[in-house]
Amino acid sequence: MSLSPKERLLDTLAKKKVDRPPVICTGGMMNAAVVDVMTRTGHTLPEGHFRSNLMAELATDVNHDTGFENFGIPFCMTVEAEVLGSEIDFGTLACEPKIAREPFASNAQVQFRTIDRMLESGRIRQVAEAALLLSRSNPDVPVIGSITGPVSTAASIVDPMTFLKELHKKREDSHRVLDYVSEFLISFARLLVDGGASAICIGDPTATGEILGPRLFQEYAVTYLNKVIDGIHATGVPVLVHICGEMKAVKPSIPKLHSDAISTDAFVNLKLLKEEYPQLTTMGNLSTFLLELGDPDKVSRHTAGLVRDGIDIISPACGLSTASAVGNIQAMTQTVKDGGRGW
Amino acid sequence: MSASEQELFQRLSDAVVEMDEDESVAVANEVVERGIDAYRAIEQGLSAGMERAGQLFDEEEYFIPELLMCSDAMYAGMDVLKPHLRSDDVAEKRKVVIGVVEGDTHDIGKNLVKIMLETSGFAVTDLGRDIPPARFVETAKEIGADIIALSTLMTTTMEGMGAVVRQLSEEGIRDRFKVIVGGGPISQGFADRIGADGYAVNAADAIRLARALVAPAEAAA
Repeated sequence: MSLSPKERLLDTLAKKKVDRPPVICTGGMMNAAVVDVMTRTGHTLPEGHFRSNLMAELATDVNHDTGFENFGIPFCMTVEAEVLGSEIDFGTLACEPKIAREPFASNAQVQFRTIDRMLESGRIRQVAEAALLLSRSNPDVPVIGSITGPVSTAASIVDPMTFLKELHKKREDSHRVLDYVSEFLISFARLLVDGGASAICIGDPTATGEILGPRLFQEYAVTYLNKVIDGIHATGVPVLVHICGEMKAVKPSIPKLHSDAISTDAFVNLKLLKEEYPQLTTMGNLSTFLLELGDPDKVSRHTAGLVRDGIDIISPACGLSTASAVGNIQAMTQTVKDGGRGW
Repeated sequence: MSASEQELFQRLSDAVVEMDEDESVAVANEVVERGIDAYRAIEQGLSAGMERAGQLFDEEEYFIPELLMCSDAMYAGMDVLKPHLRSDDVAEKRKVVIGVVEGDTHDIGKNLVKIMLETSGFAVTDLGRDIPPARFVETAKEIGADIIALSTLMTTTMEGMGAVVRQLSEEGIRDRFKVIVGGGPISQGFADRIGADGYAVNAADAIRLARALVAPAEAAA
């Protein structure tokens, strides 16, 4: 009896025994809508960032062409910042959207909007509708709703240099903004769950040990990631968290995260992390450089290594380049589906 | 040098390391009031403090927020002392054009490198973020830069760095500038591939690299 992709992912996240690890790419920071896929199908970005049906079609194309065993939406990290007030540059076919301008010079200047009103603006409803379309058309494939983590979202609406300094200098202001942002993220994630998302993935690239250091990581990143995670757990779906960069400085904080799986950058040794903290469900971490610049053989070999190391969920390590060849991605997903055999 | 002068320089240095803007301004004012040489106060006080801060960053005692606050304290003291520099203190500085390449707006890393370069005595022209290749080249020519420093956090925009090097070559002016690159997805291998002169893994490393690249030719000879 074989598991459906959704069962396999949810069982893995529930720490149940499965036949083999799932191979996924969550969307958001880990957007797998590569140029190869878009040129084949004609479902393209940046248009796909705005319309639910196109977003769902493109997510379906990605699932079909790459072999990743999920749908991952949205394809960017700017949905949240947009409705919180940032100016967005929506990018091009090959280049993902980014923040063009942060509207607030400091945490104290942040204007608090009503959450209900934000949920009705920007692209929030489009993403939720795309989740609904996808979950209805393919009930066996998990829809993963990707959201931007609280620290990164806050640093997308407040000038990032000032934001980082105020974590020290103006703690009260910082906590107030992070709390507000976290409340909004929970509501957004719940909307995606209502739409049929099977899991939520949080990518928080500003909340790294390299940027914040251990003390601020614990005080802010762990606190607000957990707040968001707890808020999502209340809806009954699991949460995956991706931590960017070198993790050495913040490793003791990692088991304190309430997430159901932890994903890391390529240079973190997940096997050792798991040995040290056996309670963690690990996810990752095939080098995205390899996926972009390597060849299918090498991709397969490295993927098989991850499977052999007992990594629980196989996934690209960090942001996937839109120039990555679909053949390389297929080599990755097929190797996992073959149980990492042949190498 | 009198002991008290030395003491003031030490306090300036400490104010920077301890991220204390008010103290930095207060001590700088004291330096001015007592007619102590502003140039030496900057060199042996503020810059020395920033160097210590950079060291702490290297040792992972300090992280980015702390380094930014140190630099605020340094600039605050600098603003007080600068008007009191004698004209012969202002030596010709090596020039750097820095910016984040087109398509990317992540500039924390670039800002750190800029701060550290300025602290280390470079004159830095900061183009900002999302900068097309041609602007780097134009500005470098315009100001007679020694170094062009390119930053990006995104894999999708890395190629813009190669475009800068290519344009320099096409215009026949490649050897007039040193091109250095850095940022999350960048590696020494990538720097070599696009023909850059160097790669730095972080802000402290960027300073070492910049200094080495503009050092008199004896090292290369």
